[in-house]
Amino acid sequence: MRTKLGVLVAGLGLFCVTVPVVAHHGFETEYDANKKVSLTGVVTEVVWKNPHMRVYVDVTDANGKVTNWNLELTSPNTVQRQGWKPKDLLPGDKVNVEGYAGRVVESRASLLSISKVGGGRPLFVQGGPEAANNPK
Amino acid sequence: MRKLFVVSITTIGLTLTLLVQSQAQQVGQVQVGGTPLVSAALAAGPVPRLPDGKVDLTGPWVAGGSNADIEREGGLKPGELPLLPWAKELRDKRKTEDEPYVACLPMSVPRVNPYPWKFAMSYTSKGLTYIYILHETGDAGAHRVIYMDGRKHPDDLLPTWWGHSIGRWEGDTLVVDTIGYNDKFWFDSRGTPHTEKLHTIERWTRPNYGTLVDEFTLDDPGAFSRPVQLKFTARLMRPDLDLMEFICLENNQAGVAGGYQLNNEKK
Repeated sequence: MRTKLGVLVAGLGLFCVTVPVVAHHGFETEYDANKKVSLTGVVTEVVWKNPHMRVYVDVTDANGKVTNWNLELTSPNTVQRQGWKPKDLLPGDKVNVEGYAGRVVESRASLLSISKVGGGRPLFVQGGPEAANNPK
Repeated sequence: MRKLFVVSITTIGLTLTLLVQSQAQQVGQVQVGGTPLVSAALAAGPVPRLPDGKVDLTGPWVAGGSNADIEREGGLKPGELPLLPWAKELRDKRKTEDEPYVACLPMSVPRVNPYPWKFAMSYTSKGLTYIYILHETGDAGAHRVIYMDGRKHPDDLLPTWWGHSIGRWEGDTLVVDTIGYNDKFWFDSRGTPHTEKLHTIERWTRPNYGTLVDEFTLDDPGAFSRPVQLKFTARLMRPDLDLMEFICLENNQAGVAGGYQLNNEKK
């Protein structure tokens, strides 16, 4: 039962993060839906600023080259309403990230989901659990 | 065989559900951007009233206006918005980098972005004297005021982002009449334009606890061949939440990932 519930929750989570939204301006003019990226890296900065929050993550490729990704979320208010607290993600945290890269600047991405490696619940951003399930 | 039938029906049902949800998210409604809404059970409840018997329209509400495409979100079919040829041509050639809202300028009427907004009903010794409309973001701090004290529109209005609004009650419907708009804001990110001749009439009703409806009359002989009637629906935000601080110009990096800069000088 626990496994089934886990699969269900994972399924809901996947569905939740399938529709990218950049609320203050259009997704499609800045990001490319064909450039989906899955990254693992180390958080260098969490910027709780308007209009859209940003998380910067150092990602090291197979050749040892480090790229600092600029990951765009929605507004800090929206992120907080989804249950994300200021200390839930801090510089130094190792994270798994999914997003869509920029049309021109490919070290930028519209963030779909982010979770700490090895622990904690995923910190979904767009279409997060509260938004999708319209909680009671 | 029976198992196959059940699996097929389940698959079809799930597919249809996902299709409907996808349609709702992409076509039928303004995106809510992750703002939690009131539950369906609460939403169906009775309409709350103020001590003077007026309907409490406060909110906060989510959606209830145009955002991506006023034609579609207002309930029209493609091509039904009666734009004059010049206005249609302008809409088609407008680019995101020229959009005032992306540069943190006000959205104006009837645009509503995916963040919450509310009516703030202001009582003085004269009773309900003003209603302010506050958006968490999208009004750039220029809170809209609706005069409820019986005054008329002035004759010599300087065009402004939110125009001059006067309101009155017709039973449980709040009717808001607005003129004096400037022509700088866009109705939607598609770039639907208007002129300073714009005159809007909003008819706001709250049919139940969780729903707000705007029967919206758009009249602009400068850009449209005739007045057009649109309809928007807002949903109540979850009751334990409220509007929060939002300073749009704090760190606006819009356009950079797409390789363009905002053309602020054109506003």
